[in-house]
Amino acid sequence: MKLRRRTHKRLQAAFLAFALCLTGSGAGAGTVFAKSQDEIVLRVCNWEEYMDMGGWDEEERIVLDNGVTIFGEKPLYEDFEDWYFETYGMRVRVEYSSFGTNEDLYNQLNLGDTYDLVCPSEYMIMKLMAEDRLEPYSETFYDKNNERNYYINNVSPFINQVMNENEINGEQWGKYAAGYMWGITGVLYNPEKVSQDEASSWKIFENERFRRQVALKDNVRDSYFAALGILKADMLTDEAFQNAPDYAKRLEEEMNDISQTTIDAAQELLERLMDNIYSLETDSGKADMVSGKIVADYQWSGDAVYAMDQADEDDFELRFSVPKEGANLWFDGWVMLKDGIHKSTDSARQKHAAEAFVNFMSRPDNAVRNMYYIGYTSSIAGTKDNDTVFSYIDWCYGAEDDTADTVAYPLGYFFSGVSEDEDYIIAAPPEQVDRQLFAQYPSEDTLKRTVVMHYFDEAASKAINKMWINVRCFDIADVPMAAWLAMLAVFLLLVHKIYAKVSVKNVTVQ
Amino acid sequence: MQLRNKKMLCLPYGVFLICFVLAPLVVIIYYALTNGEGRFTLENLTGFFENPKTTGTLLYSFGIAVVTTSVCLLLAYPIAYILARGKMKHKSVVLMLFIMPMWINFTLRITALKEILTVIEGNLSFHPFLNTVIGMTYDFLPFMILPIYTTLLKLDKSLLEAASDLGADSVRTFFQVTLPLSVPGIISGIFMVFLPSMTNYVVLDMLYNSTYIMGSLIGAYFAAYDWHGGSMIALVLLVIILVFTLFTNRYSDEDAGNGRGGVLGR
Repeated sequence: MKLRRRTHKRLQAAFLAFALCLTGSGAGAGTVFAKSQDEIVLRVCNWEEYMDMGGWDEEERIVLDNGVTIFGEKPLYEDFEDWYFETYGMRVRVEYSSFGTNEDLYNQLNLGDTYDLVCPSEYMIMKLMAEDRLEPYSETFYDKNNERNYYINNVSPFINQVMNENEINGEQWGKYAAGYMWGITGVLYNPEKVSQDEASSWKIFENERFRRQVALKDNVRDSYFAALGILKADMLTDEAFQNAPDYAKRLEEEMNDISQTTIDAAQELLERLMDNIYSLETDSGKADMVSGKIVADYQWSGDAVYAMDQADEDDFELRFSVPKEGANLWFDGWVMLKDGIHKSTDSARQKHAAEAFVNFMSRPDNAVRNMYYIGYTSSIAGTKDNDTVFSYIDWCYGAEDDTADTVAYPLGYFFSGVSEDEDYIIAAPPEQVDRQLFAQYPSEDTLKRTVVMHYFDEAASKAINKMWINVRCFDIADVPMAAWLAMLAVFLLLVHKIYAKVSVKNVTVQ
Repeated sequence: MQLRNKKMLCLPYGVFLICFVLAPLVVIIYYALTNGEGRFTLENLTGFFENPKTTGTLLYSFGIAVVTTSVCLLLAYPIAYILARGKMKHKSVVLMLFIMPMWINFTLRITALKEILTVIEGNLSFHPFLNTVIGMTYDFLPFMILPIYTTLLKLDKSLLEAASDLGADSVRTFFQVTLPLSVPGIISGIFMVFLPSMTNYVVLDMLYNSTYIMGSLIGAYFAAYDWHGGSMIALVLLVIILVFTLFTNRYSDEDAGNGRGGVLGR
């Protein structure tokens, strides 16, 4: 197998950030000095560690079969500044910052932070759309004849379809958002301890055979989704339901069920699960899977790939499965904020720069740089003339030429929109079929049972957050009798002591 | 004139106090007592105490804090006593051994502790409360040792001599002279340990205890955009701490005699 990926990347990034801090002060002074009349500032806010920051080692240089070389020297946003000047003859400076969670970003926006371009997840995009805070992309952004419109020319037909089929208040997402990374949720499991069958259902989290050996996510949306999968498992796996012509629509409705009875049932279930799971985690699950502390973990596909890579290095096998009840399809996308674009001095130029930024990120070689660095799957597919992305996937996961035993893994649905497109079939080693390749590009069949989880309106959001707090809090009824008695004893002791003191004082006064 | 100059020295801290302590406090109080429309309400307060889950969390945090503080005290006092009173050759080296962990970042220490506990217990998730107490004790022990050690070190030895001259044996001297005189140290140790252990949820997160304590509960409210509810919980915590402070302060005054004072001694 080819050695690849970003094991040392994170450390490097931290070091680089440190170095940037050191040089930053000097550079900052310089830019103020050199700032000319025609320079504009583009304020971009992205997830932490969600863009290639350059600084690759020479041995990391990737030479693909189609002759393209991938190498990250500088942070991508700095490359964008150069590219923009070369292409359009105008100076733009990117003010790049990052956020930790969608909720943090939303809070920041409400506190008055101004950004032109941000990259939240689909439900936050929906929320911002519903609140009319997003600026639509211009008509020219979708012009396929302009070869610099890298986004529309290279976006995967699969992603494009998702963006255009979903609407908020009668408006397509695709008008406001450009896909960046995407993925699904599933179960990362240890095949030595867990069978594929067991890992193919959300019910694994209530399976007492794995008591205190499975982990759920420490956030309400993911845990609620898993709870829905368990609560509705019988219906969702029913053949009649799965074969119904409107399966996709009905699945989406079921997995976005926010009626109070369902929320109550989910609370009851999650309270029960809390006793069966090892912990709720956001980041530690990957390491705990690799070290064997837990045997199954609710996992996002990108993190699952990362954990499987780590495990491979230790000669330890982990696999990824997508529960048969259905899984969550998510994506992060670039959206422009009205607040940022319209409050700038020249909003037309500001918007042009923002759209150019999205296009630059969508250029296939840049998409590959990001994929290599982040480990998630880009929404960019490329074209038959420019198959850099596909070549990269083949470079990552394709079997060596002399391997006899390979499995044909069709990815046409993603790259050209034609399921059996022969140009887009990867000859993969058999073990990849339920491992990294599968996690990064799930098969078309699998994707049929994935749904987008909507944003919850204010009332539902309140109810669900309350449910989550109730699940996480300590129930006063769980206090053991002994503890109550101990508290009573301490209290009585204190009262006695104080009383004794007071009476002693009184005596001395008298 | 000179006096005025001396007062000027307080200015930097005064500015700091106003910007980073007083102003945020005002904001918290404002949010705690208003609703989404900015109108005055006590709903946040009643909401907190009406829900058995949130009050349960208050109790749970309290339980963790009480147990951690007691364990710290039981461990720290003998050590501090031996260090201060004993005739050890390399006293400073021993003291250093207890203080040294503080030089290492605490998340790093807890990560190491996690692995050690895993070796001992096997599966950490079966003893969340115990692990949390161990983690917090590990973390806060030096804060208990130091103040007790300093008080004991400063203790006037002639008082002990007087006690023994008057016929008290060593046990009686300890309980009637040394212990009462070291109460200020104990009180400030309790303060340093009790308050952070009610809110330091990082220890719980890292040791796989998924139950909320006060710190994480406040975080959860803010993540759910409910700044009003979150601020109210922060305020409730503040009031509890205030009451606790006043109470212990008086208590320590009475025990140690006026003038010696507690941490907030007047």
